Amino acid sequence: MRRRVRRLQGFAFTAPALVLMTVFLVAPMLFTIRLSLDTGRGFQLREFVGLDNFVRLLTRDRLFLDLSDFPPSGAVFNNVLWIFLYVGLCVGLGLLIAVLADRVRYESIVKSIVFLPQAISATAVGVIWLLIYAPNARVGLLNAGLGAVGVDPVSWIGSRDMVNYAIIVAAVWAGTGLAVVVFSAAIKSIPSEIIEAARVDGANPFQTFGHITLPLISLPVSVITITLVIGVIKVFDIVYIMSRGGPNGASRVIAYSFFEETFQAGKVGYGAAVAVLMVLLIIPIVALNIRRFRAGETVR
Amino acid sequence: MRQLRPIPVIALVVVSMLLAACGVTSSPTPGTQATAPPTSAPTAPPPEAGSLTVLSLWGGSERANFLAVVDGFTAKTGIAVQYETARDFLPVMRTRLAAGNPPMIAIIPRPGVMVDFAKDGALFDLATLDITNLADNYSQAWLDLGTAEGKLYGVAVKANSKSTMWYKPASFQALGVEPPTDWDGLVAIADKYVAAGKIPFAVGGKDSWTLTDWFENIYVRTGGPEKYSELFGGTLPFTDQTVKDAMKRMAGLIAVDKYVAGGRQGVLGTGFVDGIGRVFGTSADAEMYYEGGFVGGIAIGDVNPSLKPVEDIAFFTFPQIDPAHGTPLIGGGDLAVAFVDNDLVRQFMAYLSSKDSADIWASTGTISPNKNTDTSKYPTPLAIEEAKQVAGAEVFRFDGSDLLPGTLGEQWGTTLQGVIENPDNIDSLLNDFEELAKAEFGR
Repeated sequence: MRRRVRRLQGFAFTAPALVLMTVFLVAPMLFTIRLSLDTGRGFQLREFVGLDNFVRLLTRDRLFLDLSDFPPSGAVFNNVLWIFLYVGLCVGLGLLIAVLADRVRYESIVKSIVFLPQAISATAVGVIWLLIYAPNARVGLLNAGLGAVGVDPVSWIGSRDMVNYAIIVAAVWAGTGLAVVVFSAAIKSIPSEIIEAARVDGANPFQTFGHITLPLISLPVSVITITLVIGVIKVFDIVYIMSRGGPNGASRVIAYSFFEETFQAGKVGYGAAVAVLMVLLIIPIVALNIRRFRAGETVR
Repeated sequence: MRQLRPIPVIALVVVSMLLAACGVTSSPTPGTQATAPPTSAPTAPPPEAGSLTVLSLWGGSERANFLAVVDGFTAKTGIAVQYETARDFLPVMRTRLAAGNPPMIAIIPRPGVMVDFAKDGALFDLATLDITNLADNYSQAWLDLGTAEGKLYGVAVKANSKSTMWYKPASFQALGVEPPTDWDGLVAIADKYVAAGKIPFAVGGKDSWTLTDWFENIYVRTGGPEKYSELFGGTLPFTDQTVKDAMKRMAGLIAVDKYVAGGRQGVLGTGFVDGIGRVFGTSADAEMYYEGGFVGGIAIGDVNPSLKPVEDIAFFTFPQIDPAHGTPLIGGGDLAVAFVDNDLVRQFMAYLSSKDSADIWASTGTISPNKNTDTSKYPTPLAIEEAKQVAGAEVFRFDGSDLLPGTLGEQWGTTLQGVIENPDNIDSLLNDFEELAKAEFGR
């Protein structure tokens, strides 16, 4: 009797969350998976095509994945580039600035400046950097600077080789602030006795950083890293604003392909296949995050 | 435990409210007609229930011009019109249709997209809407443009020439040249500019439709109007030698670093409006800009209000290439289509197809395709010139990429970006595109 009551009670407690999850997460996801096996015109099930969408996406869509050249290209590869460069730079610069700022008196000013772009929406960040990158040297700051030292203007967004790096730099500018603030707070929470003890033992600043600071803030570092990685797999807004995936599809990322196929081209089933692949890519990372988080909690 | 009890109750209330909200949106609304045949009883909101909703991609000065036309309607009928701009037109339309919440009327810039929507059964045809004044007001070409699957769906509200090459008369004078009449003349002017240390052209190739327009003007002058119709009508393969030749000619001008602002990559990094700015803006660094008749309005209205038409900005007809084909006109048009059938929609569609609205369009400097338009209403010499060009064209062809079925139009633009990026790839790019076209046209 008592057990049944408790079971019911548990159910009652979880029911609201379960209902919300079912309505807003599980059902749409199941529908998306079903759509990905269809042509999906007009967001409706029209014609079952099996795995055709996935096969075409992975083997015949050079804007999505092109392994015929080295280095490979396509939206998937661009996302890989984003993961390494964007996440690497955000975390690396974040650590660097947090550690260095910790040692100066004007720390709060530095952190404020670095954090400021965080308050700007990705749309505005894109527009700001478009102006900086403008190919007309009389408009673009960067090309004006190059012009001053006698270099011809570069079309950063119009060049296949440059466009991804140009957008990633803009995103790093906007994204480093969060890492800095989190790392800085974590560094502050390290008991000063430990650092002092290390110094007394003769550790130089690099050794202190490598053997004391970094291990003690490894949890926030990994959480930020994983958060950024998940964000990168979903990145869309800044690409949309800055290059619309161009030129000739060179800066497409997975989420942009999804948008382009679904909403511009109206190939909803094909777009749904992109979305399903994206979820498949994100799930292991989320799982890893949860595991690390649990591990972190038990350590404490 | 006791303290916690209210939480599930509150949560349940919230959930039930959310579900109720979902229930409202998923109950049958006008949008269900997206699948139902248009002849089924439409769910019309009562006329007094308010206003008409219209969506298009016009912003800035184009929006202001349309609102002047709308004001004429409101003054006549007392019906308020809610106008909405969606620069990124297709995603907005597709999602709103899927959600069962389309605007009552949309003005579509691409006939190919209208055909898609008509095929999906999302549109009401004009006969159903009791609009019968079309044949009196439009020539057959414009009626054909609004026709899909044998039924007339679209009212052409706005026309523009896309064979206008914009230049700076003062700059031409300084260089000692006159507007050219043939391709060699154009290239000679470009070379002269280069020799004078200037950049002849800006191209807004980041917006790929500007490239498709370049191509169409060249192709209709080299392949000829018949082949043009076959190509964009789906019967001539895109791998045809005439297509390759036209592309090479195009690349020979605007994929050559010395001719275009910022070089080839500058073409791909410059948007349509930015390109206007590079020629007519206050920090201009190029001398000529090819795009449609609407460039004038945007240049003067949005980019640089200090420009004086005819003195600072004017256009000449895209020059002849092969005398056998002369100078056919490439033109574009915007089509108004109805997603809902009710009295407000009928009145507005009838108004859009009338001389009344056409005259207001003309007074804003917009070219009206309505053949009864009072041409004395055109306010500027540039608009008069463009209207003459449109009316006087011996051979007229619609913007081909706009006629391509929805998915192909976008991809054709991407293909041309690839040509600019590397003209050596023309063959393989065309082979790739032909594969897509084959699937889309079912050939």
